[in-house]
Amino acid sequence: MITIELEGRKIRVPEGLTVIEALWDTGHDVKRGIGCLSGLCGACTVAYLEAGAQRVKFGLGCQVVVAEGMNVIMLPYFPSRIARYDMADMANPLQELPGQYPELYACDDCKACNICPEWIHVAGFMKNAKEAAYATVAEKVKDCHLCGLCASRCPKSIAPQYVGLYLQRSCARQQPLPPNLRKRLEEMATFADDADFARVPVMSDDELKDFCRGFL
Amino acid sequence: MYSESLVPQLELVNATREQRKAVTPAPLADREKTVLLKKYHPDYKDSAFRDLRIGANKGDRVTHEFADLLESFSSLDHARLDLEPEVTTDVLVLGGGGAGVTAALFAESRGARVLLATKLRLGNSNTIMALGGMQAAVAAQDSPVRHFADTMIAGGFAGDRRLVKAMVEDAPGIVAWLLKVGVNFDRDENGDLATRMAAGMTAPRILSIGDHTGLNIMKVLKDELRKSDRIELAEFSPAVELTTSETGACNGAVLYDLGRRRHFVVKARAVVLATGGAGRLHNQGFPTSNNFGATGDAIVLAYRAGARMEGLDSFQYHPTGVMFPEHMVGVLVTEAIRSLGTHLVNARGERFVNELETRDVVAAAIIRECETGNGVRTPSGKVGVWLDLPILEELFEKGLLRKRFPALFKKFMRVRIDITRRPLLVYPTLHYQNGGVFIDETGESTVNNLFVAGEAAGGIHGRNRAMGNALLDIFVFGRRAGIAAAGRVGHEPGRLTLNHVANYYSRLKSLRISSVANSPTLFPEFIVDKI
Ligand SMILES: Cc1cc2nc3c(=O)[nH]c(=O)nc-3n(C[C@H](O)[C@H](O)[C@H](O)COP(=O)(O)OP(=O)(O)OC[C@H]3O[C@@H](n4cnc5c(N)ncnc54)[C@H](O)[C@@H]3O)c2cc1C
Ligand code: FES
Repeated sequence: MITIELEGRKIRVPEGLTVIEALWDTGHDVKRGIGCLSGLCGACTVAYLEAGAQRVKFGLGCQVVVAEGMNVIMLPYFPSRIARYDMADMANPLQELPGQYPELYACDDCKACNICPEWIHVAGFMKNAKEAAYATVAEKVKDCHLCGLCASRCPKSIAPQYVGLYLQRSCARQQPLPPNLRKRLEEMATFADDADFARVPVMSDDELKDFCRGFL
Repeated sequence: MYSESLVPQLELVNATREQRKAVTPAPLADREKTVLLKKYHPDYKDSAFRDLRIGANKGDRVTHEFADLLESFSSLDHARLDLEPEVTTDVLVLGGGGAGVTAALFAESRGARVLLATKLRLGNSNTIMALGGMQAAVAAQDSPVRHFADTMIAGGFAGDRRLVKAMVEDAPGIVAWLLKVGVNFDRDENGDLATRMAAGMTAPRILSIGDHTGLNIMKVLKDELRKSDRIELAEFSPAVELTTSETGACNGAVLYDLGRRRHFVVKARAVVLATGGAGRLHNQGFPTSNNFGATGDAIVLAYRAGARMEGLDSFQYHPTGVMFPEHMVGVLVTEAIRSLGTHLVNARGERFVNELETRDVVAAAIIRECETGNGVRTPSGKVGVWLDLPILEELFEKGLLRKRFPALFKKFMRVRIDITRRPLLVYPTLHYQNGGVFIDETGESTVNNLFVAGEAAGGIHGRNRAMGNALLDIFVFGRRAGIAAAGRVGHEPGRLTLNHVANYYSRLKSLRISSVANSPTLFPEFIVDKI
């Protein structure tokens, strides 16, 4: 057994538990901060201070294993502003970034947001965003699960996760239709004329099996 | 970090790597596969199943876990619920994963008002966890017909051909829709959608977004959902019962507000049930890859309302679930790793199955090794076999794992296991519910005005789902269900009742069944067993 400080209360728990398991083990009925239990969804963010340490760390409660002397709380939601838009109404959402997220330009690269549990260099992509290197941002935020920890640290109340999402979506929308998909969609227009395939619903079981195995 | 006691085992994996490269186990003949599956695959373990005694599928073989939920009274006192609706809407969507969000978007696009209610935070779902990718026949050498054939064969011809046909025909259009809302599927240097092969496919057909496919689709769809005032959201509000009209058609649901700890009722012209799978029922004690809310609620709700089910005895056990460290037990190692040629290695340093066999066969072979004393034991007594990832760095290039599988690499670096140098200990994990509520091509169940989409629905994947077809299915049938449900706007829902529950209970009584369960389960009973 080890002793930790959990949600502001000193308590003994078995060794080897994650923060979420420690909460369950000590009778906390947590559901709100729980999603995938696999370190994938970002629902379970926590802030913790390790024994003897000076600096508070941040992480995912389903992945951080508690240790003797750790002081930990859940931080499952942090209020951050998200712009309201319907991308279908925008000719080029990339050009509208300054209007949607004016606060972005207040970012002075203090790097406080670099606490991403997915190891994304948040300050780096914010800089890219300010400098209009949008495709770079889109690439860098692919692992972002919108946990919002970065926003919780920003002294300017910017929400990097939403800026990243906006750019990721906008960049994708600006790309032309992939040629292979375009071709397939054109073929689909006359697809119903495929006489063999149209017979699928009425084939006997044996006929269906032969038909399918013909592709092997 | 691996514990001291596993070090000799780790060294054996390193020491045998060279000689293992020379001996690839031969693929099994059909007859050998059948023997292996019958003896070791959990779906064939007769003692884990029983025949259902009640309802539309009476007499069908189902898992004990489902039977226990279906053959019981709910701890909820339905007779005392106030059925006065607090909210009235056109389409009520239950479940905020990929299927539910897609249904909501398409219902709204047809002019319906929508309420989307979900158990946890919007998007906390199996969809967000999908790593590997989604199937769609877009490559030049591929075709929807080929996709159809591969899917039917993978499912052992138990899939419903009409549903499979609908799925493959809709696939290219669904991809176009996802691109249009802003999903960034990986492309090749020509701007074509990049496609990959996977086990059981006769053409490259997997579309992906790095190794975080589901997450990146879900993020964008969640964002898209915010655009309309006609879609209302109720998070942390699981459905605990459907309501029916005097004629037995579905016309709403009873939800439970987790914050306020009270029930409330929603009246709707049509309901789309999209609450996902059942991994958290932990069949036969298996670990699971599924999210916290995957407790099979759709099955319980729809069955009591009279819906017919399909294939409730068929599950997918993904062969490579993590067995160490303890807090990651059940977490998935994507199939893409196995497709590239990693070795599965037992405690004697030997390969024991051709790693490119289908999921069911590989899972059965791992279980065989572990049950016959060839498994590797962890300090806490769990047993698994090694998945030799470092070999990929030798077979391809140094740095491959970090480049192709950044999420996986990071996940293990956090626990100080460097997968470029260390193998992972794995064992099959309960992954996917192959069956579910029976639907037609519009997504409607056998209960009027009750639509079902996604993993909750059954009939598409037969006895075995091919990699990437689940993600496709949720968007295809989410869309179809949303559109069809919106088509019921002119329909008068009538009075809300729980008559179906009362009838179900009197049938249970007449069968002298008296067990009580929390059904639907809503949240898994969590037992910390590490002391
Ligand atoms: C780790 C993992 C990896 C996977 N990888 C792939 C892959 O690479 N390719 C692929 O094709 N498939 C993959 N799958 C399968 C696929 O992701 C799922 O089958 C699919 O996403 C299910 O979508 P869904 O919308 O039906 O359900 P979900 O996405 O699970 O959503 C269901 C939602 O309903 C909510 N809910 C549950 N009960 C209730 C209730 N009573 N009331 C209200 N809401 C409720 C849940 O909280 C959840 O939000 C993977 C699955 C897992 C777990
Ligand atoms: S619960 Fe999803 S990341 Fe922890």
